[in-house]
Amino acid sequence: MAKSFKSLLGDDIKNTRTLLHEAIPITGSIVSGTYSDDNIKTFSHGMYESVYDYPYLSSSANHIFDLSYGCSTRVSSSTNTQNAKKMNMYNQMAQVLFGYDLSGSIRKFDSDGSLDDDGAGTMDHCFFINFSRLLCKDEIKKNTFRLGLETAGTVASPGTLLTLGDYDAGNEFRTSPAGDYGLIFKTSGDASDNTNSVGLLFYQAGVAVLTSSIFTGEFGPTTDPRPSAATAQTGTTIQQLADGFRNRFHDLDLNNTIELNSAIYFCRVNHNEFNYSSNPTYLSGSKLVIKNQSTDLPVTYITTIGLYSPDNELMAVAKLSEPIRKDPNTELTLRVRLDY
Amino acid sequence: MAFLDNSGDIILDAVLTDTGRLRMAQGDGSFKISKFALGDDEINYGLYNKDHLSGSAYYDLEVLQTPVLEAFTNNTSNLKTKLVTMSRTNVLYMPVLKVNPRAISGETSSKYFIRTEAAGATKTEDASAVTMPAPGKFYVAVDSTTFEGIYKYREDGTSDSIYHSDNDQVIPHGIIQGYTASPAEGGMIRVDHGLDTTEISVGQGLDTDLMENAFIVELDYRLGRIKLQSGTNIAPVNFIDDDNIATYYLAGSNWVDNGPSLTNTTLSAEQLALLGTNDPQVFGDGQGTGPRGNSFKFRIQASQELQQSSYLFQQLGTSQDLTSGGFGAGSVAGLPEADSAKDGYLWNLKDRKLWYLDSTVRVIGANTGYRIDIPIRFVKLT
Repeated sequence: MAKSFKSLLGDDIKNTRTLLHEAIPITGSIVSGTYSDDNIKTFSHGMYESVYDYPYLSSSANHIFDLSYGCSTRVSSSTNTQNAKKMNMYNQMAQVLFGYDLSGSIRKFDSDGSLDDDGAGTMDHCFFINFSRLLCKDEIKKNTFRLGLETAGTVASPGTLLTLGDYDAGNEFRTSPAGDYGLIFKTSGDASDNTNSVGLLFYQAGVAVLTSSIFTGEFGPTTDPRPSAATAQTGTTIQQLADGFRNRFHDLDLNNTIELNSAIYFCRVNHNEFNYSSNPTYLSGSKLVIKNQSTDLPVTYITTIGLYSPDNELMAVAKLSEPIRKDPNTELTLRVRLDY
Repeated sequence: MAFLDNSGDIILDAVLTDTGRLRMAQGDGSFKISKFALGDDEINYGLYNKDHLSGSAYYDLEVLQTPVLEAFTNNTSNLKTKLVTMSRTNVLYMPVLKVNPRAISGETSSKYFIRTEAAGATKTEDASAVTMPAPGKFYVAVDSTTFEGIYKYREDGTSDSIYHSDNDQVIPHGIIQGYTASPAEGGMIRVDHGLDTTEISVGQGLDTDLMENAFIVELDYRLGRIKLQSGTNIAPVNFIDDDNIATYYLAGSNWVDNGPSLTNTTLSAEQLALLGTNDPQVFGDGQGTGPRGNSFKFRIQASQELQQSSYLFQQLGTSQDLTSGGFGAGSVAGLPEADSAKDGYLWNLKDRKLWYLDSTVRVIGANTGYRIDIPIRFVKLT
């Protein structure tokens, strides 16, 4: 009996998992400068602002991250500008990323990652960088986050560039309700002591939390006179703080991670299989055009592999980049990988 | 789709089809891959030069240079021609499928839509005045009004007032009753299977491993269903894909006609004589072609949407006003010029509108994978 399908047996299907990484570089001129802030989307609620890689009204623009600021209840004051919104933002991020303490209260961000609620290392004033999924995909790869910030001097004359990073996170990281997180340090040398941490990086959530105390120089709104960060965080809005952060942003590099789950189908073609074709050009007057006489070996050329359901529904297709000759003297194993 | 880069290593470009994604999204376990098939859609075996002067290494030089397209995600656009497994290597002839247009006494005809002048007719202008649509199509009348209008306009000389009263016969073929009607009239579609060659005698028969005992049929489910050649039974659908293409797997004596002596048995003189005079198959003696296989017969039932509404005709089809342009040459329905004096029924069709919608029904041999696309046209008079 002739047949067109061959069943896949248990040994012919193999599932694998692969991690892919992409390098993501972001220059500071995109975040402030190149597009005259046409790539910065602000909102009337003023809770955060969004940064795009191109003027956001263009369909070519991609959302890359959001910037926001929040302060804890410990440092809140009714005289602070947008005091409630800053607290709300802090609490929202803290409850999602850090969870609750034993009493059910929202836990505060702890820069040393100890979760001991003792007040040591607690970050009361925080900047939040929420990366889009387009950028960080399934997660940020550990020990690849490097953020260049101009934390000292003035905008016009910045001091030494500070390169923050999750140094040593490849060896040491922690878990939170929002997945793994690592500590952010100013230098790789600081990583030996957790108390030197200036922020937290949540890998799966794609959020960096930085203490505002790293900024020692000029900060705030983009026009002079610019206050210090300590002054700006109480006297300006979240949007102005985000603008200030963008103007001290030098560059960012990270690697993302894509988790690929694959099913590999080994399509084994034995010597006595698939040697004839139903292609109309295979016949001329019902006679095989590739044969002169019946003793000639049949030959076919494979260009396509179809994967079918039990009902013969075509579920997936694989194409070869060039035809492969098949005749009774050859056997093949075609390895088709489907990624999910 | 672009061509795949074939300048380096052989690569595989694999994608889920739209149906595959649909089944996966359904999450009901219907996404399951259990078998594979190989295709050679791009290959033109006519390029295989088995007489190449430089030797056998050059026979398939041009075939191997064929560029291959990227995979289509539309499931019905891939693997249109599959490779076939047969354990023996000495097959020199393989069967094909053909629509059988031959009339056989006692059976509905399977001609493409045409009006033919009956023997003994005295009037010829009706047939000659009509230019039939080409290439041939089977017409599916979606309701009795349409069927009466097209099929029953036949000058058959009966006293029925709706018929032409002349003693001239212009007989329509290829109009299928696409609705439930009793008794069944009109045409059906018959696909025959066999060797289309004169190099093998019909008496040699067709090898059993080449025989088709089941057929796979694909038809747009929005437009129609497959039903038996007679009776009103609708075939059960195997599955309907994301593009509303329904697939049927049809086997058994209701669908597949075995006919006489279909295997490697030498036919008797009586059988040959019978086949020679009244062969129901498009292949075989009397047709100047080789051994015959089975026949597959079916009709098409129009969907309820087509029967009850002209919406899909408006969306997907075309219309022809049955004014002067709708008759005579160019008439989609093949209607001759009406004569108010004697063509009372035909005259009554004037100023009506004929909607028509073209599609195809695909028939595939389940065994050898050979396929043909049969053009069909749904028609509706409003």
